[in-house]
Amino acid sequence: MNRRDYLLRKLGMSLVTILVVFVINFMLFRVLPGDPVRSVIGRNVRISPEVQQALREQFGLDKSVFPDQLFDTFGQWARGNLGYSWSLRRPVSEVLMSKLWNTVLLIGLGQILAIIFGVFLGLLAGWKRKTPVDVAALTFSLVAWAIPTFWLGIILLAVGSTWFGLPTAGIVSPENTGKPLHTVLPDLTRHLFLPTLTLTILYLGEYMLIMRSSILEVLSEDYILTAKAKGLSNWQVLWRHALRNAMLPIVTLIALNLGFTVSGAIYIETVFSYDGLGKLFQTALIKQDYPLLQGAFILLAVSVIIANMAADLLYVVLDPRVKES
Amino acid sequence: MKQNLLYVLVLLALLISACGDGKPTEVPANTEAPQPTEAPVSAGGDAVLRVGWSGKPDTLNPAYAFLGESYTIFHLIYNTLTTQAIDGSYVGSLAKEWSVSEDGLTWTYHLKEGVKWHNGEPLTADQVAWAINAIMKDPEGWATLSSYTAGFTEVTAPDATTVVIVTEYPIGNMDYRASYLYAFYRPDFEGFTTAEDLQNFANDNPMGTGPFKFRTFDKDTGVVILDANRDYVDGAPKIDGIIFQTYDNADAMVQALKVGEVDVLTSVPASAYETVKGFENVETTAAPNYYFYELIINSVDPNNDPAPTGNPALADPAVRLAMAHSINKQDFVDIVFQGLAQPATTIIGPAMGGGFWHNPNIKDIPFDTAEANHVLDEAGYVLGSDGVRTKGELRLEFRLQFPTTESVYARMADMMVGWFQQAGMKLNAEAIDEDSLVAGTTGVGDYDLIIWSWWPDPDPDFILSVLITDQFVEGGWSDSGYHNPEYDQLYLDQQQLVDKTERQKTIWKMQELVFNDRPYITLVHWDMLQAYRSDRFTGFIVSLRGIEGAESLLNVEPVK
Repeated sequence: MNRRDYLLRKLGMSLVTILVVFVINFMLFRVLPGDPVRSVIGRNVRISPEVQQALREQFGLDKSVFPDQLFDTFGQWARGNLGYSWSLRRPVSEVLMSKLWNTVLLIGLGQILAIIFGVFLGLLAGWKRKTPVDVAALTFSLVAWAIPTFWLGIILLAVGSTWFGLPTAGIVSPENTGKPLHTVLPDLTRHLFLPTLTLTILYLGEYMLIMRSSILEVLSEDYILTAKAKGLSNWQVLWRHALRNAMLPIVTLIALNLGFTVSGAIYIETVFSYDGLGKLFQTALIKQDYPLLQGAFILLAVSVIIANMAADLLYVVLDPRVKES
Repeated sequence: MKQNLLYVLVLLALLISACGDGKPTEVPANTEAPQPTEAPVSAGGDAVLRVGWSGKPDTLNPAYAFLGESYTIFHLIYNTLTTQAIDGSYVGSLAKEWSVSEDGLTWTYHLKEGVKWHNGEPLTADQVAWAINAIMKDPEGWATLSSYTAGFTEVTAPDATTVVIVTEYPIGNMDYRASYLYAFYRPDFEGFTTAEDLQNFANDNPMGTGPFKFRTFDKDTGVVILDANRDYVDGAPKIDGIIFQTYDNADAMVQALKVGEVDVLTSVPASAYETVKGFENVETTAAPNYYFYELIINSVDPNNDPAPTGNPALADPAVRLAMAHSINKQDFVDIVFQGLAQPATTIIGPAMGGGFWHNPNIKDIPFDTAEANHVLDEAGYVLGSDGVRTKGELRLEFRLQFPTTESVYARMADMMVGWFQQAGMKLNAEAIDEDSLVAGTTGVGDYDLIIWSWWPDPDPDFILSVLITDQFVEGGWSDSGYHNPEYDQLYLDQQQLVDKTERQKTIWKMQELVFNDRPYITLVHWDMLQAYRSDRFTGFIVSLRGIEGAESLLNVEPVK
């Protein structure tokens, strides 16, 4: 099989997967109990039954789920329209896009920092195995990995706002709301600091632990012994021979994690009142906002599938064994 | 790879530099200059009040706003003919004075002079009449406000300062209704042909005549920024503006008050109240509220279609009385609400309308397990070996459902299970999502007992309507299925009684009926808990309108 066929096959499979995800999600959210109109308006709101009925008609909820609602939705999709969010009364694509970059900025930054520090710590711990450095790094990573997200966020928020005057909520100060982010960079940075730090600490443990075990395995290989026997310095052995091979499991992990980046981080976003996708998905679910949920799940599915494809492609480059087969 | 690394390092350096001092950093000089039309950002100044709250407006379009936060903003931007004063009475807002004709059908409002729109244009009576007409003529489009114009037949402006409202029948709560009829700006709201068009209108730049001018509303973050209206007819606010900021996390919100990032919290979580009280330079306020938690007892007519599934023993007044004797409301207050609540006797709390509508003659059923047992013995319910009383086919075992929305429900349910058990009544407690509760109650009656809550309007009409027979339909308000023709008739009567004392008498009678028939056992009224930075602002007026209400914010001034 040549590379083009391989790529086409991957692409085809991905499209089929997305389609299946969409159909499943369409059906799934419609078998849930409860009335979306009631949950949009809530209990303590005065609105007449006639108006509620009008709303149902307006949203197409009076039609049968199958085939009317299903084909309506497919038709909209074919025209590139993700639909209209019932609860927010805005186009779904607009809502998703407005949160996507906030989330990518926060989670992406947290991931990148976690990868850098995690890989570095793992490498260090593996290389200095059974020394105090290893014990300290290992303990720190295990603790970081085990800490509840919410708790760490709150502690950092309390410490950061009390001692360092860092802001407690939002992505920028209220008076900078709506301005292009690059024009308010210092304010943005101050707001990003605590949530990014929380994310970094939380993700770091996982990378560190995997990197450590991976490097330990590689270091016991014969070719490392050979490299040492050739008289290479420690640094050269580590950098040229060990690291590249040890990176394979990390690449898989990174690809998978980055795929889930767009799912946001509900806890972090809630603690820091950060306007991201995670909280949007949660709200959509509570409000039974089907169009928004569908849009969200499509976005999520596509991202995960693309990230997986990226991992497959990276393997081709990184791992000679994959290249050959 | 190297480029990525560089990028990361730059960001890292930025992050580290951010951790410097706590003062707001300035935007570098080389960034875009503000647009000339934009007002200078006064928001960083001392006289801008920063309000932290946990919600955010759902829309700024009054035709389709459901959340309380939207109405807080409306009351600051728009004026109404009347407004509720701190003591619960109604005073003029746009209206200087008003009167009603002998037959109670014609209301004449004389407007204050010198009222100006935020753009400087003078307000005229026909603009006010146009706004009320718009709501009256399109009840479907103005879904959220149309109930306030029900029964109106004609609204006119005979001259530039007079508005006349003619009604089909006398309306008992006209002052309250007039306090929700916003004078919105005609050019913003004309030209919508369908209800859907009107409701999809975002009203992104609302203009009114109120004490604060609109500047920004960010739908995503919920940030609202208002500027003081220096030309306000009742005198300019003493602060420069207000920023409303949404917090998704109550702990972060409390922390923001502690470090001075916000000046006001519109709602302090009860669990954090004692902590907030101890903060330096922070004042807390606790005001008894008329919102309440209640135990709903299935009272649906057995002939209802579909047939209710409630335990038939619930129809026995003795069982209901025994239940009332088995609830220790004071324990709810002390344990569940940490003392920040009051036991509730009727559906209209003493805090509503300054206490005018609450029936003070109703004496609550005391918590008395022995008496509960006695009542059930007398009624012929025999205690079985499993600790549950039975009488023939009837067995005193009930489902007790409660919503998952707040943790207090579970705690109350837990305590009730124990109390009821002592009287030989078994409760099977179950948490359910609120939508399913709505689906299982209104028009259906698929439950035995439910603990739930109501946030009534400031006028008794709404909470009274919740118990009328006609509301027990899908999309209606009645969850209990209470059906009492006497109560229904009294409800219609009170709507048309223009004489306040007469209306009060009728409403007292209605409370008595509900108290004795017990479709609801009202449990507690919880307190409205708020807090503000006393080192930055002073002059807040504590009332049920909240310290963020218009009259309070007009009185607030920065500490010199």
